[in-house]
Amino acid sequence: MDELTKTLHERFGHASFRPGQRDVIEDVLSGRDVLAMLPTGSGKSLCYQLPAYFLPGSVLIVSPLVSLMEDQVEQLRRRGEKRVVAFHSLLDAEEKWHALTSLPDFRFIYASPEMLQSETFLAALRRVRVSLFVVDEAHCISQWGYDFRPDFLKLGAVRHALGSPPCLALTATATPEVQEDIIRTLGMERARRHIYSVDRPNIALAVERCLSVEDKAARLAECAKRLRGPGIVYFSSRQWAEEMARRLAQNGAGRVAYYHAGMDGEQRLLVQQQFLYDELDIVCCTSAFGMGVDKGNVRFVLHFHMPAQLEAYVQEIGRAGRDGAPSLAVLFYADGDRAIAQAVAEAELPDSAALREWCRRLPEDAVRGGWRAAVDAGGFTDIQKRLLAYFLEWGQTAAPEQLTAAAKERLYERMAAAIEARRRWKRKKLREMEEWVHAFSCRRAAIVRAFGEELSDKPDACCDNCGLETDRFMTDGRRPEAAPVRPWREELWHMFFGGRRHDEAAK
Amino acid sequence: MRHGYASFLLAHCLRRLNGERTLAAVYHLLSGKKSAQTLQDCKWFQLAPFFGTWKDVTMDRLEEAALVLVRKQRAAPVHDRTYILTEKGRHWLDEQAAWFPRYVNGWRYHEIEPLFWQRLSLIGQTLSNLSHGQRFIPICRDERTLLWVKQYLLDKRSRQTLARALYDELTRLLAAVSEEAATVFVLRLTSARRIGWTAEQIAAWLQKDVLYVQFQFRNVLHYMMAEAEAGRAPVMAELMAGLAPVQLTQSAQKTYEWLQKGKTIDEIAALRRLKKSTIEDHVVELAANVPDFSIAPFVAAERAAAIQAAARALGTRKLKRIREALGGIASYFEIRLVLAKEVGRWMN
Ligand SMILES: [Zn+2]
Repeated sequence: MDELTKTLHERFGHASFRPGQRDVIEDVLSGRDVLAMLPTGSGKSLCYQLPAYFLPGSVLIVSPLVSLMEDQVEQLRRRGEKRVVAFHSLLDAEEKWHALTSLPDFRFIYASPEMLQSETFLAALRRVRVSLFVVDEAHCISQWGYDFRPDFLKLGAVRHALGSPPCLALTATATPEVQEDIIRTLGMERARRHIYSVDRPNIALAVERCLSVEDKAARLAECAKRLRGPGIVYFSSRQWAEEMARRLAQNGAGRVAYYHAGMDGEQRLLVQQQFLYDELDIVCCTSAFGMGVDKGNVRFVLHFHMPAQLEAYVQEIGRAGRDGAPSLAVLFYADGDRAIAQAVAEAELPDSAALREWCRRLPEDAVRGGWRAAVDAGGFTDIQKRLLAYFLEWGQTAAPEQLTAAAKERLYERMAAAIEARRRWKRKKLREMEEWVHAFSCRRAAIVRAFGEELSDKPDACCDNCGLETDRFMTDGRRPEAAPVRPWREELWHMFFGGRRHDEAAK
Repeated sequence: MRHGYASFLLAHCLRRLNGERTLAAVYHLLSGKKSAQTLQDCKWFQLAPFFGTWKDVTMDRLEEAALVLVRKQRAAPVHDRTYILTEKGRHWLDEQAAWFPRYVNGWRYHEIEPLFWQRLSLIGQTLSNLSHGQRFIPICRDERTLLWVKQYLLDKRSRQTLARALYDELTRLLAAVSEEAATVFVLRLTSARRIGWTAEQIAAWLQKDVLYVQFQFRNVLHYMMAEAEAGRAPVMAELMAGLAPVQLTQSAQKTYEWLQKGKTIDEIAALRRLKKSTIEDHVVELAANVPDFSIAPFVAAERAAAIQAAARALGTRKLKRIREALGGIASYFEIRLVLAKEVGRWMN
């Protein structure tokens, strides 16, 4: 057994590598810059976690989502790794001063992009020998990615400030255009690309055209009741997710819960874990659900609303069938869905009248830092603020130190133009998604093409346009009802001593 | 009852407020706004138990509840957004006495309730899984709690003894509340067999109002903490270690409000005509009691780390010794701040 496989076995408890992992790891260990596009569920994190045991110094991992980071940290700790630390917010850093002063002692340092804007944190990082700079969910870097986060744009500068350590950019979904953006923004040199097909042969694809919203809801209820679970249903709004969760439960679809970003942290965690432990059959959710949910046996992913981009759709259906068993993805479509998708997609773009008004009211002596406060006070939504800050930074290069009325007007025009360009791009992506919905040819081939590949092999259960019968995913057996709950005294007794009695009985 | 608990809560508040405050005051009270005005209202109208007990309440919810009361002639408007209970309303409220969460003490517990619950539920989950010989994913992600629980369990000589003691104590405490409240509480717990249910899932199962379920749950939690403080629940008292019920002085509260408006210590001292050292005392009080209070503006990160390291190395909380060990570079104020923050955070 070679060293890599040995470590894989000892540290991570796996007997062999999954496709792609070994090639990526070998390139990382040879000190190359690497861009790896591996499908979700293929064990992306191993690509930096394993090299960490061979590299000197520390591995720095930048991750966009707190929950994602927490999952990774938790996983590493469960495997007995003590030298791991995560910083998500400035307040967090304060709690961890101690860790901050002993930063070089950690093997894994997780940080949010926000943290990397902090001078104190960067100063502490400069004392660390960062042997690998990892960017997780790297497609967030690209404004042409479906989940653009302006914070990520500064990562190139951060990497440079840390002496340009070798870089590993990881993503599950990046079109060729996004891949270019990642490489350029991070300043990756002669990057090795490991691009694995986005195609997931065990996921069958179908689109169901419905006559109306009501028809769609009825079809969904029918499917949810008959499809073999567990499964996920995506909605474009919190209200719909909640409403349909209730309807599905009443309609005999089994144990159903909803999940969205408006719930408090504990509730979200409970629902996520109930789903993980098969205590729920269906989760009705918004796009907030899924990242970091590592569940192998998801049998179906349904979309009640069409996502605004094919990349988002591919990412979401990718949560089905990670165990490799046959799974199904169905998108329900009715007239009017395009308008909904467009409204959701463009909600992040500030209204031009409001923007003009806001520009006019900027204080004349607004220096660079001061503009941020104006962004915060402008009454925009969080996502609009992020975007505005980004456009502002980009637009202000044209503005002089003194903001005269004319300069404000110029600033507005530049920002408005940038926003308009983004709107056009979003419409283009939406058109692409819509064309996919209305296509008569193979849907799998179309997805793969959108990512710049050609489809080599078609599975038997391919897509509705290739003659897929969704009946094979249906079941006659009714789902079990919610677990019967005992009176509280018994429930409590079983909680603390249930296992022991079981063990004794087994002896 | 599937709906209507909001109306019940509001009716209770209206009776106490007696037409002297608008719905906005109720909103601030229930959501736990820390303004001098709201804190005063709490005491004046004897509504302190409800302070901060419904953190995500919205004005819409309250207006809707008020509308229901008016429609059923249980309340009548007196001014804009101001209502008083009618005779009928008072009767109705008295008849619903069973809904009253009598152990709820928001004033005292609203800040520490989440941390107490996190500890309790994580310890329950851990002991349950140990007993079942299973690995598990913690039901809590707050690192403070994860570390605390880990240390707590390490300090215990026997997990079996602890499991027994916790089980006995929970059974005894739950027997003292209603069967329904006990059921709600147990369903919220996570064991090796079952992930805890959300309030909403419990409400659907019991066919009750979600808000009612939340208050039943809170009622039990506050009862447990009160019993712990009264010396009648030793395990719960251990779980409360370091979780000081918040009792900010009015004066510290004022300072807090000025700080939030961006004033410096010197400015506040001048504004309030108080000594600088008095304001510094307030800041230390805030650091110890307000979980989200940042001390970064008052002490540089490097220095704080040095103070922390020195306190740990010396194993002392004596300011003078820490100051000497650092060669006098840190002020007493800075040292007190860092120590206060640590007490608040790590609960030692
Ligand atoms: Zn096909």
